[in-house]
Amino acid sequence: MPLSRHLVFWSLSLLIGWGSGCDSPTDRFPPNELFARVVVHPFSGEFERASTDVGRLVESLFGTPDSPSIPDRLLAAGDGEPLLDPQRLARASGPVSSDREGLNFGIYRAQCVVCHGLSGDGFGPAAALQNPYPRDFRSGVFKYKSTTRGSKPTRDDLRRLLVHGIPGTGMPSFARQPEDDREALIDYLIYLSIRGEVERRLLAWSVEELGYGEADGPTSAEDSLVLLDSGRLASDELAEQVDEILEQVVDSWLRPEPVAVPTPPTWDVSELASAAARGRELFHGPLANCASCHGTDGDGSAVTLDFDDWTKEFTTRLGVAPSDPIVRDFRRAGALRPRPISPRKLSWGNFRGGSDPDSLYRLLTVGIAGTPMPGLLVTAEPGGVGVTPDQVWDLVAYLQSLSADAPAPAPRSAE
Amino acid sequence: MMNLLETDNRTEANASDSDGASASPGGTCSLSTGSAVGAAPPGRWLHRAAVVLVAMVWPLIWIGGQVTTYAAGMAVPDWPGTYGYNLFLYPYQTWLFGPFDLFIEHGHRLLAALVGMVAIVTVALAWLVEPRRWVRWLTVLLLVAVIGQGLLGGVRVILAARTLAMLHGCTAEIFFALCVTLMAVTSRWWWQQDSAKSPRAPTNGPGERVPGRGVIVAASALVVAAYLQVVLGAQLRHVQPTASPGGFTHLVATHLVTAVVVLGLALGIAWRLWTLVRSRTETSGGCGVLALLKPAWLVVSLVWLQIGLGLATWVSRYGVPTFAQVGPRSSSYLVKSQAFVESLIITGHVATGALVLVTATFLLLRMLRFRHTRLSLLAPTASGT
Repeated sequence: MPLSRHLVFWSLSLLIGWGSGCDSPTDRFPPNELFARVVVHPFSGEFERASTDVGRLVESLFGTPDSPSIPDRLLAAGDGEPLLDPQRLARASGPVSSDREGLNFGIYRAQCVVCHGLSGDGFGPAAALQNPYPRDFRSGVFKYKSTTRGSKPTRDDLRRLLVHGIPGTGMPSFARQPEDDREALIDYLIYLSIRGEVERRLLAWSVEELGYGEADGPTSAEDSLVLLDSGRLASDELAEQVDEILEQVVDSWLRPEPVAVPTPPTWDVSELASAAARGRELFHGPLANCASCHGTDGDGSAVTLDFDDWTKEFTTRLGVAPSDPIVRDFRRAGALRPRPISPRKLSWGNFRGGSDPDSLYRLLTVGIAGTPMPGLLVTAEPGGVGVTPDQVWDLVAYLQSLSADAPAPAPRSAE
Repeated sequence: MMNLLETDNRTEANASDSDGASASPGGTCSLSTGSAVGAAPPGRWLHRAAVVLVAMVWPLIWIGGQVTTYAAGMAVPDWPGTYGYNLFLYPYQTWLFGPFDLFIEHGHRLLAALVGMVAIVTVALAWLVEPRRWVRWLTVLLLVAVIGQGLLGGVRVILAARTLAMLHGCTAEIFFALCVTLMAVTSRWWWQQDSAKSPRAPTNGPGERVPGRGVIVAASALVVAAYLQVVLGAQLRHVQPTASPGGFTHLVATHLVTAVVVLGLALGIAWRLWTLVRSRTETSGGCGVLALLKPAWLVVSLVWLQIGLGLATWVSRYGVPTFAQVGPRSSSYLVKSQAFVESLIITGHVATGALVLVTATFLLLRMLRFRHTRLSLLAPTASGT
């Protein structure tokens, strides 16, 4: 074949290989079709109507990815320091750029969107290849924090997470990012979570109370969430309900208090070994019963089949098996393939919620929100139903003894 | 079935080439610094300019890759100027000691402008010294390509379009391949293949075998596959915020499968050429095919390196996959955002991908040239006998 024909052949091949299009639109947050489908599932209605109407209502409250807005109620929330700062929010949102002084903008899209998605739905492009899946902020459930299981994390919790990352997962450490950038990300994360949770509650309310779950939709215009030309809802009653839902969600973010950790015992080296031995007994015994999931000596050998709450929401809680073909409908609406959750192999010593004694104590007593990991019941006196704080410390000593890489040798050592 | 190797019956004595490959009467090929055949080729300065271009474009791709790795594509919001300044008059203190993303983005623009100037010099040299018309037009194409590439980069900034950034990354590799093409066709080796047509040329030994059509097709497929990898990699790096996880997963899977295809093609071609060299030594002929074997082995080495860098890139970006978490270390690996070493790994993957593409292009061009000149000798000889 002459050279010229070869040149033509692979020049065409290269051009065809481009296969590109225009930038995908980012002018709107994608509606939460997954949760709309979940709440409509027991009813006869179509989920699209609920997700569309609620999506537009939420947009009127929270703005768009390029231009987020903060509802007045949210702007006023917080004691002294506001829960969200508009300037920080503006820096974290929108397209990626930076100015001459090196101030970054669009930080969320530069750092987070590929896994967590534009609306924080945990459905970013790279999400399916992560294990565990990236967090869906919209349900307002966070795994690693210092507060009680059902509470929101403190700002310090989020700060710590961004600095330290989560080893063993795709969640990076942003320690090298400027502190201002991390603070802006925290604001945006809280914003996405509040926005997402408001959207979920509005969806549930619209389907259960306003008739959006029925085949014909809301029976009257008074119950419709379609915005009028004035940008307002049809009735003041509806507006008040929306305001109440917003207030409930915002309040849940105000003043989350860390779980108090009692003062740990003071141990010398031999006492520490004894504590670890007692902890081992508890670990394998019926009271804590950790070995039933984490395996003997935390080697991860136990066989379990369970799912996290984000998966259960569209499967078992609806009476749908994760392997049921109907799950495909939920996947098309934004769910990732159900994947069983595996208890951690503790003998490797990588405790994602933190390896320091206080974090381990909290994790043992609070559990991990959104997962099957329960919290231990703590009682003042030893008995058959719970464990005492000292016994929790024994467990902490045992957990740390499992790993040669644990950062601290013991809760507290006298030496 | 396609005949992979064809036999050239032209009988000559020893063979040598510009790479110093020569055959002894005893039948062994050796690499020497032996003198080149024939007079010095015309357009040596053009060749040198092409080499300079190649030497400049690879670092340009490195820096462009760092721009993407650090998400610095919009660090300078205007174009063609930089923050209102003429590109070349932007205060160097602010550039060198300012924010890192501004440093790499403005540096990328400056180096690109320099490449453009060398491209202009290349066109001038070509029209002065190059006798082949198609090569002169090749330099013009190269100049048009570098201008187009600059415009694409500029429009990407003005429109803040991520897709155009991806296109800019893809076309950069085509420009790099064009530079290498110019370097190859102006080289001494290329000219010496022409001199093989003269009666004085010591080219082939008895029963010399040239790369068959099958190897040529494989080398063409290698170039296409290597470029497909570039495109897939660019799509992964410039993925849209609203792209679906399913689409991204398919891209990753295709990228992995194509990597295996590239490796298989590179190994197959190298093995074929190696058998050619072995057959040459057994029949006591020229060793011109060594000039093909060396870039073939280089492609193989680069592909292995690229696969290693690809795995390291994934780990740097997304952590150790669950199936590879086999111990405490791997299960506790922490991904670090904007870490310098990790950024070099990620960008190194881009730059090595470019090297794979251009080395494969270089190999293909040499194979075509080698085969074409050898077979053109065969035709008159065959008719004469």
